[in-house]
Amino acid sequence: MSANASSSQLTVGLSGSGGLSHAYVQYPPLKCNLPGSRGLYYDDANKLLLSPTSDQVFSWKTVPFSPHVAATADYINEGPVLSIRYSLDAKSIAVHRSNQEIQFFQRETRETFTHMCKSESESILGFFWTDCPVCDLVVVKTSGLDLLTVSFTSKSVNLVETKKLSVNWYVYTHGSRLVLLASGMQCKTLTGFQLSSVGIVRLPRFEMVMAKSDANSKPVLAAEDVFIITVYGRIYCLQIDRVAMQLHSYRFYRDAVVQQGSLPMFSSKISVSVVDNVLLVHQVDARVSILYDIFEDSRAPISAPLPLLLRGLPQSHTGRPVNAGESLDRNSSNHELMFYGDDWTFLVPDLICDVASKSVWKIHLDLEVISSSSSEVPSNLEFLQRRKLEASKTKQLCLAITRAFILERRPVTMVSKAIDVLVSSYSHSVKTCSNLKETKVDEASASVGTNASNSSRSAKDESRVGVGDKSFNLSASDSDDQSREIDSRDLQKSGKENLLGAESSRGEVQSSSLYTQQLGLGNNQLNANNSERQDSQLTSPAISPDEMYSCVFVPVGEKIVGDPSYLVAIIVEFLRSTNSEKIKVRPNIYVFTIQLLVRYERFAELSLLIINKVLEPSKEVAMQLLESGHQNPQTRKLAFDMLRQLSLHHDYVTLLVQDGCYLEALRYARKHKVTSVRPSLFLEAALASKDSQHLAAVLRFFSDFIAGFRNTPEYQDYFRILNEMNTGLAV
Amino acid sequence: MGMASVNTASEGMQLCIFDLRRGQQEGQELDKILFFFPADLPFATQLSVIGLSEGLITFTRIFSPDAACEVIEAERHSHVFFEAESDIWMVMVVEKSKESKAACQVDALRKVLKEVHSLFVLFHGTMRSMLEKETSGGLIRSHLYPFITDYLSDFLIGKKLQLPSFHDCLMERGTVQMLTVGREAAIEVQSLVKVLECSAGTTSCYSLVLFQDLLVSTTLSPDDTISLFTYAVLRLTPHALSSGATSWSYLQRTNAGSQVPALSTITNSGSVSDNIYRSRDTSLDQDNNCQVKRPLHHNRWFRGNDGFLASDIWGADNGSQTSVTPIVYLQLTEERMYLCAYQYKSLTIILLVPVSSILNGEQGLSLVKQQVFENASLKMLRVEEKLSKGWGGENAYHVSGYRYLLVDDERVSRASPPAKVMTLAKDSLLAMSKLREEVNLEKRAKCSSSEVNCDKELEICVRAKNGAWVIARTSRGKELYMVLEKASEMLLYASDAVEKFSNRYCSGVFSLD
Repeated sequence: MSANASSSQLTVGLSGSGGLSHAYVQYPPLKCNLPGSRGLYYDDANKLLLSPTSDQVFSWKTVPFSPHVAATADYINEGPVLSIRYSLDAKSIAVHRSNQEIQFFQRETRETFTHMCKSESESILGFFWTDCPVCDLVVVKTSGLDLLTVSFTSKSVNLVETKKLSVNWYVYTHGSRLVLLASGMQCKTLTGFQLSSVGIVRLPRFEMVMAKSDANSKPVLAAEDVFIITVYGRIYCLQIDRVAMQLHSYRFYRDAVVQQGSLPMFSSKISVSVVDNVLLVHQVDARVSILYDIFEDSRAPISAPLPLLLRGLPQSHTGRPVNAGESLDRNSSNHELMFYGDDWTFLVPDLICDVASKSVWKIHLDLEVISSSSSEVPSNLEFLQRRKLEASKTKQLCLAITRAFILERRPVTMVSKAIDVLVSSYSHSVKTCSNLKETKVDEASASVGTNASNSSRSAKDESRVGVGDKSFNLSASDSDDQSREIDSRDLQKSGKENLLGAESSRGEVQSSSLYTQQLGLGNNQLNANNSERQDSQLTSPAISPDEMYSCVFVPVGEKIVGDPSYLVAIIVEFLRSTNSEKIKVRPNIYVFTIQLLVRYERFAELSLLIINKVLEPSKEVAMQLLESGHQNPQTRKLAFDMLRQLSLHHDYVTLLVQDGCYLEALRYARKHKVTSVRPSLFLEAALASKDSQHLAAVLRFFSDFIAGFRNTPEYQDYFRILNEMNTGLAV
Repeated sequence: MGMASVNTASEGMQLCIFDLRRGQQEGQELDKILFFFPADLPFATQLSVIGLSEGLITFTRIFSPDAACEVIEAERHSHVFFEAESDIWMVMVVEKSKESKAACQVDALRKVLKEVHSLFVLFHGTMRSMLEKETSGGLIRSHLYPFITDYLSDFLIGKKLQLPSFHDCLMERGTVQMLTVGREAAIEVQSLVKVLECSAGTTSCYSLVLFQDLLVSTTLSPDDTISLFTYAVLRLTPHALSSGATSWSYLQRTNAGSQVPALSTITNSGSVSDNIYRSRDTSLDQDNNCQVKRPLHHNRWFRGNDGFLASDIWGADNGSQTSVTPIVYLQLTEERMYLCAYQYKSLTIILLVPVSSILNGEQGLSLVKQQVFENASLKMLRVEEKLSKGWGGENAYHVSGYRYLLVDDERVSRASPPAKVMTLAKDSLLAMSKLREEVNLEKRAKCSSSEVNCDKELEICVRAKNGAWVIARTSRGKELYMVLEKASEMLLYASDAVEKFSNRYCSGVFSLD
C-alpha cells in the first residue's frame, strides 16, 4: 500500500480513535542496516542489537534508546551464526555456531576458542550468560543444562554442574533470570530454573493448560507460545492456548507456580511487550494492542483495543499519524513500514524489530490518552502513580487531573479517595527514598561499560529506574494474597536469604506497595556489587504536600468562585490523609486554609480548626491569625494563645505591648527573661496611658531588670517626663 | 386544681415580660403585659409588679441611658432585669432565702432570662417581629406562655422551682461545654462536617456535632451555637431523650428522677392558663392558638428507625406519617432553617438547611436526609468510634483536689463534675458565690468604663470561714474560679496550686509570674 493510497483511507481508519492511541512508536527508528549483514540478533542481557557480517559483529545499544546511536564493531571469525551474546562484563563474545559448537572471542585480545558438545546424541539449543555466583555461562542442550565457567587464560570452559533433563525447547529472559525448559510430548511440561546473583533455584515442575479441540488431538506447545514477563518485580509467564483462544497467565513463586487467570485472544498471532510495568498484548492479526495493568489481580484491560501509532514523522511525508494497517512510503529508503506486519519481531521487553527494514522501534505509552479514557479518577491516579518511566510528565498529568477533578466539584468522598491515592503514593516514595536518591541501576550499560555517557542522558525517556533483583514470591501457598503476606513476614525475618533473585531487564524497584518495596530494598543491596548505581533526577511521579499546595490548592483557590467551603473540605480531607500517613505538612497550607475561611468569615470553623490543632500551630499560622484578627477579635486571641504556646516570647511580648497591655507584657518578659524587646516600647505605651504611676513602675522595672539602664538617655528622658508629670499633678 | 399547683410551684418567684412601647395610655396598661408567671395572679398584682419595674427602668435611664438597672435588692426580694430586645423587658422577682441573704446569684438569674429568650428567638424569631406581625399581642402571648412554662418546668424539683443559687456557683449558664479531642479525631470530625454540608447540596448549611452532652464541632455563629447547643442538651442528646428529664446538662443527672409528677401539674396548669389567655384573646386570634408549637415540651422527641430524630411537636405531614421538621431562626441573619437531627449512639448531629433551598418541603428534605445518610453514615460511625475511645466518661474533666470553673470569653466553659462540686462545704460554696458576684461587678465596671481593652487581669484569693481557699483569676477574657478545700494555710500553697492547674490544663493562660 502506498502512502498516497493510504492517506485517503486514513480518515476512515482513524475515525474511531481520533488519531489517538494508548501506545506509539516514535519516528525515527534505530536503523541497523549494514551491507553484508547476516541477520539481526538481540542480546537482552546487555540490551544490544547485534548484526554479524562475515568477519565482524556490529552492536547497537538500545538503552538508552536513541535512533542515532553509533554501532560498535568487533571482530569474529567467519562462520555460521545461530545466536550471539556478549558476556555480562562485555569483555567477551559467545557465538552459537552449530548444534555442537559455541565459539568464544575475547574482544581486546581477539583470543578465541571453541566449546564442543561431548556427546553426539545431544545438541545445543542455546546458551546465555549469567551472573549466578557459581558459573558464567549456561548452555541449554536437549539433555539438560550445563553450567559452565569460561576461562580465556586456559582457553577452556569448565563444567560446574549439569542438570539432567530432556528438553524440547526453552525460553529465557535475562530480566527474570528464569529459564523455562519444555519437555514431554506436547511440550507442555515445564521446569524452571532461576539463576540469579543469589544462587540457583529449581522451580517445581508444572503443566501448562492446553484445551483440546477433540479427544484425539494433542496440540503441541511451541516456544513462541510462551512469554516470560516481569511486571512490578514479579515474574509471570503467559502462554498461548490456541484452541481455547486464551492467553493463560502463571505467576512464579519460589516453590509454586500459580495459575492466575486468562486474557482473551483475538488473533492467532500474539506477542507481548512490557512498557513501564504495563503489559501490552499485541493481537497481531487484528492489528491492535490491548493494555493491562496487572498490579492487582484485575484482568480488565485499561484501555480499548487500539493500534499502535507512529509519531514524529516529518511533515513532508504525511500530515497525520500513521495508523496500523497503513503503510508508509519513505523517500529516503525504498521500502514500506508495515505495522503489525510479518516482519515485526517483538523484543523483550519493549522493542519492535522490523526485520525487513532493519529498523528498531521502541514502544512508548501515551499516559494522557490512557488516563483520559478512564472515568474513575482515583483508580486512574493509582495507575499513573505506578508509572515511573516519564516521572515528571506523569506527575504533571496527575496534578492536572486532580485540579480538574476538584474544579468540577465532584463529591468530596470521591476527591478524598483520589487524594488518598496521591498521599499514600507519596508516603511510600518517601519511605523508599525513591524520590530523593533512588538508585538507578542499569544493567546493560554497566556491563557494556559505557558509563560515561549515562550521566548526560535526558531523564525524560531514559530514566529507567532501579533494575533490582526481582524475586519470586516464595511461599507455597496457593493464593496470591496469602503468599504475599507470608512473604513480607519472611522478608522481615530473614532479609535477603529467601530472595530468589531474578533480575529484570527493565523492571524497577516498585514502591507502590509495601510488599514490593521491601523486595526493592533488598534487591538493591544484592545488586550493588554488579551494577552501576546512578542518581536520577526524578524517578517517581509522587506528589509532595508542597506540590499539592502550590500546584493544586492554590490554582484551584484562584479559580474557584464563591464559597470556598468545598475547597476547605478538600483540604481537610488532604490533612486527614497526610495525618494517617504520618506525613508532615508545611504551614503554608494552613495559612492558605485560614485565608480561605476568613475570606468568607467562617470564624467558628476556623477557631475549631485551630483549637483542635487540625491546623498545627506555627509562627506562620499565628501571624496569619493575627492579620485575620483585625476582622475578628476571637481570632486574634487565638493568635496570642498560639504564640505563647509556641514560646515565641519576643513576638508575644511585642504584641502585648502593642495592645497596650504593657504591664502584663513586663510580667511575662520577667518570667521568660525576654530582653529583646526595646524598653522604649514599654515606656511609650505607659506614657500613652497618661498614668504616672504606671510610667514610674515601668521605669523602675527596667532599672532593676536591665543592668546599666539608669545610664541610658532613654532613662533620663522618661525620668524627666515622669518628674514633669508629677510636678504637674502637684501644682 | 391547676392553679393551686402553680401557686405552690411558683412560690417566691415571679417572672414577667412587658413591652414599654405598648399600653402607655391610661386604661390600656394590660396591653403591655406579654407574659406573667404565675399567670393566675390577679391583674392588679401583675400590674403593680410591672409598674414598679417600669418605674425603676425609667428612673435609672436618666443616669444611664444605655444600660438601665440590672438588679434591685429589696429587703425580701431581688428584682433581676434583663432587656431582651429594645424596650422589651424581662423581670424576675425572687424571694431571698432566709438562710443566706446575699447568696442569690443575680448574674445566674439574668442568664436564665437570657437563655429562655434566646431559645424563644431560636424557634419563633424575635418578639418584636412577632409583635409587628400581629399587633394585638395575642399571638406572642399564646406562644410565650407554653414556651416559658415548659422551660421553667426544667427547674422543678418536687413541686418547687429550684432556681440557680449558690450551689450552682461553679457552673456557667449560657455557655457551651466542649469535648477535648485529639488532632486525628478532630480531622475526622471536620471531614464529617464537610461531607454533611456538601451532601446537603447547598453551601449555606450549618451543622452542630455533639458527643454525649458536649459540643464537638460547630459552623454556626457563637450566639446561634449557644442557643442550639442549649436546646440540644435540653431535648435532643441521647441523655435528654432517654431520661426525658429536665437537666440542662449531663452534669445534673442526679435531679432527673423526681420530676415527672410535678411536670404533669405544670403542664396542666399551662393549659388552664392557656385558657385564660385564650378567653382574653378569642376575639383577636382564634386560629393562631391551635398552631402554637411547644418546642420545649417534654418527651416529644424520639429516634426514628432511620437514625434521624423526629418529633410530633410540629405535627405530622399531611398524607404521610412523617412528622414535620421544625424550623429555627438564625439570630444574625434571621434566616429560617430546617432543623434535622441525626443520632448514632452518643453522637448527635444537627444539620440546619435553609428553608429557601428546599423547594418541596418535607419531600425535598427527606431527600436531603437520605443523601446525608448515604454519604456520611460511614464517617459518623468512625467518628463515634474515635470519640468514644477517647472519652473519659462523666468525670473526664475532674481534676482531683480541685473544684473549678473555667470560662472562656463567656462562651465556652468547663467545670468540675457536679457530683464532685456537691462534696464542697456550704461555706465554700457561699464564699465562691460571693466572689463571683464581685468579679462580675468588677468586669462590668471595667467594660462600662471607656477603656478600650476590658480584658484586664484580675486575681483574688479568699480564705473562707471553713479554711478553704476560694480563688478567682481572669486573664485576657478567660476566667478561672477555684475552690481548694483541705488546703494548707499558706497563700503560697494556693497560688502554687493555681499555677500548676493553669500550666497543666490551660496551657499556662493563668500563670502570671
